[in-house]
Amino acid sequence: MSLPARVATLVVAFLAVVAGVLWVVFDIIGAQPQTENYMPYAQGGQVNVTMMTAAQTTVTNKPDWVTYFIQNPSTKQFDHTTYFAVPANTTVNVTILGYDGCTPLRNPLWGKVAGTTGNVENVQYYNGKTLSASQALTTFNSWANCAVQHTFAIPGLGLNVPIASPTTVAENNNLCGTSPCVAPADAGSPHTVVKFSFKTPGTPGSYRWQCFVPCGLGYVDGNGGPMSTPGYMAGEMEVQA
Amino acid sequence: MATEALTPGSGARSGRNDAAWLLTIWIVLSIIGCLLVALVWGPHMPPGRASVQAASQATDITVLGTIATPVVIGVLLYFGWALAFWRQQPGDETDAAPLHGNVKVQTTWIAGTSAIVLALAVYGTVELINPAGAGAGQGPQPVFRNGMPPAASATSWAPGTNNILQVQVIGQQWAWTFRYPQFGGFETTQLVIPVNQPVQFNVTSLDVIHSFWAYTLGVKADANPGVNNVAYTTATVTGDFQVRCDELCGIWHGSMYDTGQVMSVSGFLAWTKTTAATMAGVTKMLPPYALTYDPTTLNLGKVNAALGLTGAGGGYYNPADPEQP
Ligand SMILES: [Cu+2]
Ligand SMILES: [Cu+2]
Repeated sequence: MSLPARVATLVVAFLAVVAGVLWVVFDIIGAQPQTENYMPYAQGGQVNVTMMTAAQTTVTNKPDWVTYFIQNPSTKQFDHTTYFAVPANTTVNVTILGYDGCTPLRNPLWGKVAGTTGNVENVQYYNGKTLSASQALTTFNSWANCAVQHTFAIPGLGLNVPIASPTTVAENNNLCGTSPCVAPADAGSPHTVVKFSFKTPGTPGSYRWQCFVPCGLGYVDGNGGPMSTPGYMAGEMEVQA
Repeated sequence: MATEALTPGSGARSGRNDAAWLLTIWIVLSIIGCLLVALVWGPHMPPGRASVQAASQATDITVLGTIATPVVIGVLLYFGWALAFWRQQPGDETDAAPLHGNVKVQTTWIAGTSAIVLALAVYGTVELINPAGAGAGQGPQPVFRNGMPPAASATSWAPGTNNILQVQVIGQQWAWTFRYPQFGGFETTQLVIPVNQPVQFNVTSLDVIHSFWAYTLGVKADANPGVNNVAYTTATVTGDFQVRCDELCGIWHGSMYDTGQVMSVSGFLAWTKTTAATMAGVTKMLPPYALTYDPTTLNLGKVNAALGLTGAGGGYYNPADPEQP
């Protein structure tokens, strides 16, 4: 091999290694799920955000992980992400469609609604046939009853919302099996509709949120897998000016 | 320092007595340095003086810093002196004089360093025993109690008595919660303690190892599942303090922090009253107060049992594992 050819080979090999490292750093380690931008949809100091929980993530390569979805405010599709952007000093009206079954909380303290307007959440139960009237609830006993599937908690804001679950064994054995749970996959699966409001802080910044149910089944402490991967049971709320 | 023995002829060459100069400069600089460290820097030494334990640690660091000052000055001075005065003269091609043992230098060195190290060992041991382990976690059965009696009552508390205030610190991925057994056993995400009252932190975890670190209170104790780690503090200043997790515990470890509050005794008692009332609904759902909690043995209702669920989603620490993981 001639000298120029050897030099060229060396340079190419070197650049390939550099490109590989950059790809690992930015595309794998630094990967972050897309952010649903609710900024343009705020009106009169309020913004409506819709999310969904599901017993599986059939749209990813982790089909057996539990997950959250967030509705894209423009397409109305449920995207597989846990990142969303909302304006500062704004009341966020959240609706969570809870399609997963119950799991006991490890710490029953998280069964108490905290940090929402009026310290309540409004829950409707759909048992597969009828949707119940809305009930304002403040506390859930996830040990005594099949009551909670996940929580939506922003520790930095003192916000904690247990997501009510379908309540019976029959309902739990009949959950929506393909996610996101929208027609036609969701043909009347049991679920809950959880509504609550909270005010975003005046200071812009990113506020992390997580679920406090150890729902990473099969992982040590139930806190691995989906509990430790942004985009499933944890994410960030970007508060923008 | 007998420097002429190590550098024979160097001072003699210029007619200067290196040993006398070095000794004099060293003593003068050491006195100035020690005074600066002890009196000027000392009051600003970490972790500050917001609690009895923190103040004790700040004093320890000041004492150690003051003792270390003459050593640092001696080394730097000798180094600088050698660079400045003992360098090879232009045109001087002769070899340095061979070194032989010097009993005076060796004896001084061994005696001096031994005295410093032994004194520090004695000081360190006394300080460990005295102020309740300098605020560190003292394990499940703390040996040194700083003269504090064990809690006379686990279900009630009054200020200024022998009945030390119990605050349970519970680590979990990824938040701290705090339980007050002497006020009905409520649990909350807020950490509030009264000023000038000894507090016993009982630190444990519901999952992995965390570490409860209230830096300005001089308290740091590992939060281990299945283990009660004890640490004491007596806050002396009202106001906020920071609580951090100091053991890498997973994805949100970095955001596992809280702001605690030291209140007046009356403010604290009022806070316990309102918080106990606010939390009453959830307090009755909590497990009975215990020093540790095992999520695999939760008392779960029928539906959860029918679904085969426990409070430990995945595997959990085997109760047969050693007490200290
Ligand atoms: Cu969850
Ligand atoms: Cu931690």
